[in-house]
Amino acid sequence: MSNIAGKAYAMNVITPVRPYLVWVNKVIFWAALKLPSTLKGLITLSLIHYARWVIIGKNQFPHLAPEQPKEDLSYCYMLFFSNFNGSWDQYVDSFTFAIPSGLDMFWKWNIRYPKSVALTPFHKYIQYNQIETLHYYNGYPLATSNDVKSASAVRDALIAFDQTADQGTDAEFIKRYHTLLRGLQHDLGDMYPTPIVSMAAYQVEKRTRWHASQLSALTADRVQQS
Amino acid sequence: MTNISGNAYALTILSPIRTGVVKGEEIEYADKVRDLLESWNLLPNSPMTQVPQTYLCRFFVLDDVYTESLPGASVMDTFADVLPVVPDGVRRRILPKEDRLKSRYLVFSSNFYGGPQGDVDGYLRGMWNAIGEHIKDLWGYCYGFDQVRDAATFVSYMKKCQLPVTLFFVGANDEPLPAQLKALYLKQEFARFAVANQGLEAAVLRANYQAFIARVAPTNLSGPTWEPGQYRL
Repeated sequence: MSNIAGKAYAMNVITPVRPYLVWVNKVIFWAALKLPSTLKGLITLSLIHYARWVIIGKNQFPHLAPEQPKEDLSYCYMLFFSNFNGSWDQYVDSFTFAIPSGLDMFWKWNIRYPKSVALTPFHKYIQYNQIETLHYYNGYPLATSNDVKSASAVRDALIAFDQTADQGTDAEFIKRYHTLLRGLQHDLGDMYPTPIVSMAAYQVEKRTRWHASQLSALTADRVQQS
Repeated sequence: MTNISGNAYALTILSPIRTGVVKGEEIEYADKVRDLLESWNLLPNSPMTQVPQTYLCRFFVLDDVYTESLPGASVMDTFADVLPVVPDGVRRRILPKEDRLKSRYLVFSSNFYGGPQGDVDGYLRGMWNAIGEHIKDLWGYCYGFDQVRDAATFVSYMKKCQLPVTLFFVGANDEPLPAQLKALYLKQEFARFAVANQGLEAAVLRANYQAFIARVAPTNLSGPTWEPGQYRL
């Protein structure tokens, strides 16, 4: 199980929807897509890298071979995948506190959805319907979503600044340099590994430590024997 | 197309895993897939580091669907408490039904740079060329994969397993991965430069800056930069 890769957490949730209500759900998603202002709440949750919703019709599960048994389902299913920074609780709670009505709009047609307020039934609902990730890969495990966005700003400002770096006196250069730093003060900052960057990194380090301890024990034995 | 948002592409794959037990191993196909994915966690880094343009991706096995249901609490149930004559079957019909999947599915969900046209074919070809052996190991336990022989047949197989995304939200950015990694490298290096060069004479700062720019080469994406999946500085 590996829900964590670096600073990102992978959430998978699957929830049933009554087939005769799927079109309502799809219309709401379509409206959200056509009117980006409806996603303003989501944008304020700057801890999200990428998120998606996939509605699978009850007859839409892939069927690839005659010998594969055909699904016989009563409901359609909504899959939700999210990549976010921070802990499970922080994420779920930030949804509840920042965009409760938006959340209810997307999920209210799902069976037994308890609404995002109060917190405890909502937590229980997500926990019940969540599936653990087996392998999670992150292209930039050291960075948060905000780091990725601010890195673009730093790069663009630095390249623009560098165009004029050779111009003028040293005094003019330092003035422009300070202006650059002031402009980037919200974007600069060191990135460091979190305690468990990924299950792979964690396992490799655990193994390395184990080997090192075995080696030192062996050396100590040999010294004692000699 | 809702799989695309700007230049980012949301790929959702559900591949049905064969039912039954792996010959000679006494382990179900789905559990074999699970073991393989778990073993990727023990490698020095994920095989997906080699697949170009992958921002974030995940694999898991969908064993079954879930229906949360309380034992009653419907309107008819209340009546049933008062009127025991209401048959039990009526009460049960009102409660949510319990679905069961007949196959288990390998789920692969990837967020990658696909360009404005969403070049999913190019991405899948790149994936096949980079980690073809891992793909054969993993998907080899799925229905229909026996038709896959090369990159082209892999692309057409994956498209049969693909599900359209209803809504895709991009909260980070949708630049090509090498551009993102270079930007992250520059952010890290420039933050350190700014801290290390405080309070210097203008001429010294300028000379240091020029040496810094020569070292980090801001417009050169090939290097120096961060590697995909790099977890140590």
